[in-house]
Amino acid sequence: MILRVIGVLWLAATLAFFALRLLPGDAITAQLVDSGASAAQIESRRAALGLDAPLFTQYTDWLVGVVSGDLGVSMLDGQPVNEIVARQVVPTVSLALAALLVAIIAGLILGSAAGLGSSSARFALNIALSAPIYWTGTLAIWVFALLLDWLPSSGDSGLTGLILPSAVLGFHTAGAIGRVIAAGVAETVNADFVFTARSKGLPEGLIVWRHILRASLLPAVSVIALQAGFLLGGVVITETLFNRPGIGRVLLDAVMRQDYPVVQGIVVWTAAVYIIVNAAADVITRQLDPRVAA
Amino acid sequence: MLLKVLRVIILLALMLNACTTTSEAQSRHRIIYGLTLQPSGFDPHIHASSELGIPLRSVYDTLVYRDPTTGDFVAGLASSWTVSPDGLNYTFILKQGVTFHDGTTFNAQAVAANLDRITNPDTASQKAIFMLGSYTSYEIVDDSTIRLILSEPYSPLLDSLSQVYLGMASPAALSAFSNERYQFNQVGTGPFQFVEYVPQDRLVIRRNLNYSWGPAFYNAPTSDSVDEIEFRFYTDPATRAIALEGGDVQVMGELLPVDARALAVNQEIILNPVNVPGQPLQFLMNTEQFPTDNLVVRRALITATNREAMIDAVFQRFSPIAWSPIAASTRFYSSAVAGAYDYDPGQARALLESAGYTDSDNNGYLDFGGSELILNVIVPPWGLIPDVAQLLQDQWREVGLRVVLETVPTRNALVERVNQGGYNLVAFYEFGSDPSFLNRYFTTDGVNNWTNFIDADLDRVLRDAVVQSDAAARGSLYAEAQRIIMDRALILPIRDYVNLNGVQSTIQNLTYDAYGWFPILNNVTVSGG
Repeated sequence: MILRVIGVLWLAATLAFFALRLLPGDAITAQLVDSGASAAQIESRRAALGLDAPLFTQYTDWLVGVVSGDLGVSMLDGQPVNEIVARQVVPTVSLALAALLVAIIAGLILGSAAGLGSSSARFALNIALSAPIYWTGTLAIWVFALLLDWLPSSGDSGLTGLILPSAVLGFHTAGAIGRVIAAGVAETVNADFVFTARSKGLPEGLIVWRHILRASLLPAVSVIALQAGFLLGGVVITETLFNRPGIGRVLLDAVMRQDYPVVQGIVVWTAAVYIIVNAAADVITRQLDPRVAA
Repeated sequence: MLLKVLRVIILLALMLNACTTTSEAQSRHRIIYGLTLQPSGFDPHIHASSELGIPLRSVYDTLVYRDPTTGDFVAGLASSWTVSPDGLNYTFILKQGVTFHDGTTFNAQAVAANLDRITNPDTASQKAIFMLGSYTSYEIVDDSTIRLILSEPYSPLLDSLSQVYLGMASPAALSAFSNERYQFNQVGTGPFQFVEYVPQDRLVIRRNLNYSWGPAFYNAPTSDSVDEIEFRFYTDPATRAIALEGGDVQVMGELLPVDARALAVNQEIILNPVNVPGQPLQFLMNTEQFPTDNLVVRRALITATNREAMIDAVFQRFSPIAWSPIAASTRFYSSAVAGAYDYDPGQARALLESAGYTDSDNNGYLDFGGSELILNVIVPPWGLIPDVAQLLQDQWREVGLRVVLETVPTRNALVERVNQGGYNLVAFYEFGSDPSFLNRYFTTDGVNNWTNFIDADLDRVLRDAVVQSDAAARGSLYAEAQRIIMDRALILPIRDYVNLNGVQSTIQNLTYDAYGWFPILNNVTVSGG
């Protein structure tokens, strides 16, 4: 288990390291191109940052740092990568959690309704699945921030600033969760034990909540875990669209500027979080399904 | 079980959110100002972005200032200065009674500490150090007099010293914080003091109530003057107009032209377009690559370009046509080049025919000795260049030219692509009030000599213009440089850069300094407070 975790982390780190270097250019050359620096001055700056060292040496140097918990410093402003991540993690995690909450609730409601035969719920799920965040987000800003003027369109201004972005991101994520639940519910609704429950005269609400939904939840839990991983990607777009601080925007900026250590560091951290979330999903699945635990 | 998980998530989300919510005492005249990108760093001595100067221009004073209306140098932290006849010594008499925001005194030693920091290789300055040109050392004459010593005459020095990148920071703060940490703890002498910088989120400055040593064009504050400004980052252009219209910000820079056009009818928003001096949006033409190695072809290309149509469609008529390698708002712009190569597709066709290009295979495109006339254009994603390039492709097709657009995603990729060679045109430009930046682009050994043009006359003119200190003499040298560059058709200039600022109507007296980018925040007032 530990070995597998280390293997995944190493793979993610290595891929990030080499993929970035496939891009043409580097952070320093572009930074200095209209500064008045001469070619020799640019070259000496690159050397100072180790950019002229052989690729493999750069790679092993970095990997040694990662193992000892040091993800390096930003090439552009010298901030330690761990500090950059620590500073941005709170707004990103609160957005991701709020979105996950929206996604689970909306996914459960829409999914059960769709599974029980509501065509409008199925339609809503399809929209959630197929509409990109950029589109729903822009639409939401236009309606709720401009037309109705209920909520701010941008920024990290407490709870009100969290509503629109988490609703947009959560709605998108609800699509996948809801579809799995809908399939489960549609399948379970005709199962023998539901027939038994109904013949016992249990109220319909209780049948849906206790019997049908519980049985349909199992596959949903692993989808929710997968979606938590997707959320980390979704925050990049959402944070940019709503001008929120966070990991996603730092990542996007760092990629555009080829600030290698920052991108690599965020990839390593994200991979670690992803692994933890999936491990947690395994535990929850065991709790929900006695058969897996046995 | 599920309910438990949900409860935990709700609790966590609320807790985290509580940590991020800041409760700030509301100043009476607090405004939010939208910046258009998150600079890679905010230390003016180290970092190079124009964006950092928008807030920091008001945190730091400089030795001299440029008057925003006349463009002349006026007293800043230096009350007067003299330049030795050989142009190698600049002596500054400093104002007395100036204090930094941390209470320490500004004097010649403080200037020296700033110069030491900028020139220290460990600082790895990305811009400030190069702006010092041939500066080599200083000499502290007395507490309020400092002399800068140059190895050769460098007339853009005063222009450099008037910019925020050479702003004067508190030596106490510089030594208290490392180069990496100082950007979070900046201390200057300016009309606003630095409060906090939270990357990706905000930068806040607050009025310095002790300020009394500003340049003549800084007004004394009144009860309507703005007290506190929060800057936020709006990287995605599409979100800028929405934030301004929705009231999330009171000032926003670099609106998209289409959004600015739409906002023009909004009573609550005032458009404040500012001409930015420097290079226009231009395509540099590679004089070493077929077919742009031919002067006649280069001239035909400019003549075949309908710049007016581009400005109508892409820039919503918010920009003037560019005629020169420097924008009309730049020092030493020569109007003698205006109007040359005006749009005339017939003339362009005649020029191409005279160069031996004909459509011999009747496919609608010109060819020469059996090979087709193909133009490779490198297109970066910023400044609406992709839209301009699209129109260029259409317009040049009409005179029988085939254009291949090569889009590059970033500045890095653009530089890398240029270094590979084999292109005909590349779009690139920079900003600045003194045209000395032309040397990098048009001298033989210029770092950005992407036209690959080699001409002893142009080299001499551009070098003399940097050494010469007499303004009139510099003016005629730059007029000659502009004439040569346009006569040899080294660039295709499109439009002068205009920064489309949008301002809510409650904000008054927002003007911009001589560099076009930097607001004079000291003079801004807020009505209805």
